Amino acid sequence: MSLRLKLLLLGLLTLVLPWAGCRYAREMESALREGEQTSLESVAETLATSLEGRVDLLYRAPAGPEAQDSGALLKSGPYDLKPLALPAAPLVDGYSDDWPRDPSAWAWYQKDPAHRFGVLTGVFERVLYLLIEVHDEHPVFDAPGASPLEPHATGDRIWLGFQDPGGTERQVFLAATGPGAVTGRYIETGEYGQQLAQLEPRVRGAWQLVPGGYRLELRVPLSMLGTGFGVLIDDRDARGAAPVSYGSLHPDDLRPVGHLIVASPELTTYLAQFSQPGLKVSVATPGGQVLARVDELKRVAELASAPPLIARLYRRFVDEPGTAPAIEARVPIYDREHRTPIGELEVTQTPDRWLRLRDRALTHMLNFTLATSVVVVIAMFAFAAWLALRLSRLRQASESALTREGLIATFPDTGARDELGDVARSFSSLLGRLNEYTGYLRTLAGKLAHEIRTPLTIVRSSLENLEAEPVSDSARSYLERARQGSERLNAILQAMGAATRVEEAIGAAERSRLDLVPLIESAVAAYRGAFPERRFASELPAGPVMLEGAADLIVQMLDKLIENAVDFSPPGATITVRLLLTEEAAVLEVDNPGPPLPSEAPGRLFESLWQSRGGGDNRPHFGLGLYIVRLIAEFHLGSASAGNLPEGGGARFAIRLPR
Amino acid sequence: MKRLIAIVEDEAALRDNYAAAFTREGYAVRTYATRSQAMSAFAARLPDLAIIDISLEDEPEGGFELCRQLRALSPALPIIFLTARDSELDAVSGLRLGADDFLTKDLSLTHLSARVNALFRRVDALRKPEQEGDVLRRGPLTLDTERMQAQWDGKVVLLSLTEFWIVHALARHPGHVRNRQQLMDAANVVLDDNTVTSHVKRIRRKFQGVDPKFDAVQTVYGMGYRWVE
Repeated sequence: MSLRLKLLLLGLLTLVLPWAGCRYAREMESALREGEQTSLESVAETLATSLEGRVDLLYRAPAGPEAQDSGALLKSGPYDLKPLALPAAPLVDGYSDDWPRDPSAWAWYQKDPAHRFGVLTGVFERVLYLLIEVHDEHPVFDAPGASPLEPHATGDRIWLGFQDPGGTERQVFLAATGPGAVTGRYIETGEYGQQLAQLEPRVRGAWQLVPGGYRLELRVPLSMLGTGFGVLIDDRDARGAAPVSYGSLHPDDLRPVGHLIVASPELTTYLAQFSQPGLKVSVATPGGQVLARVDELKRVAELASAPPLIARLYRRFVDEPGTAPAIEARVPIYDREHRTPIGELEVTQTPDRWLRLRDRALTHMLNFTLATSVVVVIAMFAFAAWLALRLSRLRQASESALTREGLIATFPDTGARDELGDVARSFSSLLGRLNEYTGYLRTLAGKLAHEIRTPLTIVRSSLENLEAEPVSDSARSYLERARQGSERLNAILQAMGAATRVEEAIGAAERSRLDLVPLIESAVAAYRGAFPERRFASELPAGPVMLEGAADLIVQMLDKLIENAVDFSPPGATITVRLLLTEEAAVLEVDNPGPPLPSEAPGRLFESLWQSRGGGDNRPHFGLGLYIVRLIAEFHLGSASAGNLPEGGGARFAIRLPR
Repeated sequence: MKRLIAIVEDEAALRDNYAAAFTREGYAVRTYATRSQAMSAFAARLPDLAIIDISLEDEPEGGFELCRQLRALSPALPIIFLTARDSELDAVSGLRLGADDFLTKDLSLTHLSARVNALFRRVDALRKPEQEGDVLRRGPLTLDTERMQAQWDGKVVLLSLTEFWIVHALARHPGHVRNRQQLMDAANVVLDDNTVTSHVKRIRRKFQGVDPKFDAVQTVYGMGYRWVE
């Protein structure tokens, strides 16, 4: 695993931050929720206290004798009607499909199994709506055209009995000659005692037949009504027949037995003061019948623009699905004595409010932590890449530090003040010391030669002087041996110092534009004369091979290669000199039959004072020839290499000279 | 009267050996170990020839300074550098200071005395009126073998003894190739190939200093050099 990958993985660990953030957001959410719950409860508490004993505010102000008896209102009897708080006005058409489907809200009245009816009441904007469903095997309509007061023309009747706001008992009846719209009527006694059916236009409705009976839908403005209210059915099996009367009106005087329990009109206004988006405040009777509500739950969604995509995305991974219920607080409203509950207050708050709060915090935090992670990962990656780059540079530098000819002193990346810089610096100083040492070793031979030269000269000059003295013959042979020994010593010294002189000479050489082909041709011709016991073959290109170089040096290089080839080839062998052309270089090759090269790295052949092949004569061999070859090749920005010919055919030395 | 050779050499054994050899050859020899010794003696009497080492006791370049002072005292006095230092740079600086020859210490005593004799011959020749018989003419080149003096187009080219002998060996048989060994033999020196090359290079440069179009010394690659007319 690369350093880069490791640091990248390390950087990914910072993703723990957003994860922890999510955890924290959840914690925060439940804390928020608890806080909201508490505050909601205290709101409900305050609201309930403000409503304490306010029966007048909760319920429609009772009139007449019952006005003072608020308790009577609360003793909810079987005939009391508790209208629903309708969300919208139903269309008065005799159909029930725009009413809430709530079987428990129906009030049922029954005389016997064959005679029963249900009433569903609702209030919307100070209008009472009634839905009355009557079971009747034989629905009978009034005779068309006849006065509704004609006894023989009378069919099924529905009576509404109530007290008006002034406390006067009133009755309104509804009769129809067929399905459709109906208007309420009341009976008025005329001047002469005659009874007249007068229209009550405020009570309007629609009559429809349903399977097993009929249905009447009605609207009555609450302004007409006082507290008492009841419904009575006159069920006739035929026109003019004696009716079966039952319901919540006294059958004798049609006085209402029950009450209409409706919130006072001020209650909604009162509650509206506390309304705010996302909040639903409702007041119910102790029995759970909703009297009034201010519902602004939906407004939150309208107010708040849709959460941004990213927030929704975040929400997905924080929320377990379906866990955002609304919070609600339910508090009883007591009477003045704080004994009996007169109602119940319920405050509901959508989760949206704190969810939005949480989402905002969550979004900010996640944005921040994710950005942090991204930055950290990128930074780590960049850092790792930089480190890897430096390391690989260090590696390359250390690999290329040891060149064939010695060492390079320059070592990059030594300015950095960190551990890598330290490594580079210690490498650098190590290489520097090694370089010095190699340099010392390299010049050692020259220095030694120089130092030995003076004592050797003393020996030689002494010997020469001695030769001029009268010496006995036997001593003369020793003298001769000493002289020969000192000559050899001198030759060795010459050779040892030669490398330095060659380097100097090469360094001082001048380059000029020259053609290699005639140069090599003339040299090869010269070798034929110089080494008559070898044959020379040359393979040269037809055209000129121009090169920027020093002719003297190139010939000297060829001299050394030929000397080497002659030394290691048997007499009569053919030495081949070849010049090849490539795209960017001229390659000079010298092949000689003979023993293969030693198995050591072929590059070492070109080092100074390195000799492993035994030459044929007694001359001291210091491997200088090939060292000079290399120096000259490098002076021409080229390189020297050596290899064996296939099938033990000898050796090949190749010099590559860039053009 | 014997000719006086002054040897300035800090190595006592070597000094004495050279002194013995030259005494045997019939010269008078004075030896000095330091520059100050030598200079005070030279102030009293100039030698006929001076052999100087470059590094003298505590002065690593003392020989050069001595050569300069000596040359100031006498423009014609033959001066030979005989030193263990064999770098190209030392040779060039030595010859530039007016030395007649620059020799390394691995030269044998026989060769050394051959050179000393040659230099004395030149001094003698310079004293005598010019004689035509000892002059070699090759086109613009005139070599006075007695005075060991070269002229190109009538202008004197100042050559060291070694250089003169190399030119002489080449010009004697124009067109013939002389290899390095032959040139070394002619010059009575043992040099390695590169030193011969740099001698030839110096010769060319000296002639080119007189005539920029000089091209008479040709390299025959792989063999040596030849004089072209």
